Amino acid sequence: MRSMVGRSLRLVAGRPWFGICLLLLLALVILGPMLNVFLWAFTRNWAYPSLLPTVWSIEFWDDTFARADILEGFIASVWISLIVTGLSAVICLPAAYAFARMQFPGRTFLLLSFLATNAFPRFGLYITIAVIFFRLRLIGTVPGVVLIQLVNTLLFMIWIPTAAFQGVDRALEEAALDVGASPLRVFLQVTLPLVAPALAAALLLTFIGTFYETQGALLVGVPEVRTLPVVMIRLINNQVIVQYGAILSVALWVPSLLLLIFAQRVLRGNTIASGFGV
Amino acid sequence: MTVTGSRGSLPEPATVRGRFRIPQSVLGYALILLPLVVMGTLILYPAFLSIADTVTEHSPGGSLQVSLADYVEFFNTPLAVRNLAFSLRITAVTVAVLFLAGFPISLYLRFTHGRLGNLIQMLALFPLFVPGIIAAYALIRFIGDNGWLERFLHLLFGYEGFTSPYLRPAGIVVGLAWEGISITVLILTAGLSQIPDSLLETATDVGANRWQSFWRITMPLMKRSVLIVLTLNFLTVFGSFTIPYLLGPASPEMMGPYMRRTFYDANLPSRAQVQAVITFLISAVISLLYVRSVVSQKVEEES
Repeated sequence: MRSMVGRSLRLVAGRPWFGICLLLLLALVILGPMLNVFLWAFTRNWAYPSLLPTVWSIEFWDDTFARADILEGFIASVWISLIVTGLSAVICLPAAYAFARMQFPGRTFLLLSFLATNAFPRFGLYITIAVIFFRLRLIGTVPGVVLIQLVNTLLFMIWIPTAAFQGVDRALEEAALDVGASPLRVFLQVTLPLVAPALAAALLLTFIGTFYETQGALLVGVPEVRTLPVVMIRLINNQVIVQYGAILSVALWVPSLLLLIFAQRVLRGNTIASGFGV
Repeated sequence: MTVTGSRGSLPEPATVRGRFRIPQSVLGYALILLPLVVMGTLILYPAFLSIADTVTEHSPGGSLQVSLADYVEFFNTPLAVRNLAFSLRITAVTVAVLFLAGFPISLYLRFTHGRLGNLIQMLALFPLFVPGIIAAYALIRFIGDNGWLERFLHLLFGYEGFTSPYLRPAGIVVGLAWEGISITVLILTAGLSQIPDSLLETATDVGANRWQSFWRITMPLMKRSVLIVLTLNFLTVFGSFTIPYLLGPASPEMMGPYMRRTFYDANLPSRAQVQAVITFLISAVISLLYVRSVVSQKVEEES
């Protein structure tokens, strides 16, 4: 048995066909759904069993963006994401600096305590938050949505910038101090430019993550506050016209993909994994 | 270590910092206070309040007393028990599917180099760049009735017996596996990359075959990454809402949609609290394992 498995392992690693099969399978399963949505966005009719739309059209694009709920959802999402990202930065960035640069008892423990956000089953946690918001009458309000979405942002907004501040070569700062620059000037002109890309990436990841955050917004925001993902859920549940959801997906996803690719290039490969504890 | 410590014997420049300084630990605590307060009020306080609320009740005299009546009621509600069992079953299946799909991919990525490997890695990480709500929508179109998958099977293999997993339990597994594969591969490849080539080569030099070096060297060194992947995936899947809500059946339903229905549609926040605390308790052991393995890893890195 063992030698059989050993032989097949050897075969698999030595031959490219395993890789090619894997590639094709992944391409179908991973890219298939996204490609399918792309096609739907340019479809008028799509009869079964054709693999491609039977009648192509872009007529639904105007309709989609003329819908009041989509427009309002978009505006709400942009505003709320900006507020959450700004708030998260104000709360977390000074802390990240302290975690990276200062020595105080319990530093490592406190830094790791932010893992608590990962250690709860997420929606159960949201329910317990929503119960408090219910008593405080924060359900259906923008502050309620902002606060529940803030929960998601803490870990990345602390861990990524902490790693960035730790990565700055202290010799550069000390050289600047030696030639008489004030600490503030050293921070602004030496430290900040060096960590700026990572900070930008952290802000971007937070903004995008918040923009598409669905379950917290649905639980706490409805019925008065409807972000775009919540509008999208309604489109899915009502199933009126397939194209609305498809067009919205395409229009929203492409810019977020570009931004995320930028963010990932800036960060070292393992930063995202490190947010999950690796 | 102080900021000036490494500057040797050079005289201290006359800065404001030199004359008057706040002890570094005080400043450090002051700077990290805000996020800790946010975490305390938005995570720990709600969780503990719910636990406290659900294990106490007001006696007729008005005083608080410990009571497990809420939990007895939960486990005496057939629907609740059924949903809980369903959640655990879906979670177990999804965690297993993710591991069985992610581990071979990660192994392949660790031991091959070149363009094919890069392409496979890009594909495996792709779902990370698709927001959950868009992925859910795309998957509904893809696996739904008359969707692309059914058309493919029909045209390529003439297969007619397709039943869509959409709005069935399998739909939840498909959706959560699609979303979770990236993190699974990311964590496992990160773990595998920490195993040095030299170690594996040494094993080969002393006559170990591939299987032996995999079983005796790779697996023991991968223990922690595997534990992190299994526990993190458990917590993510068990605590999920959007995918089960959009892709799963209306009954039985997973705890996420069930809790929302209790809270919002049935307007019973206190009963939703009981359900939430039960999900906490069930995942407590898993959370502990997850936090412990991450902490031990981080502490090792720091030292």
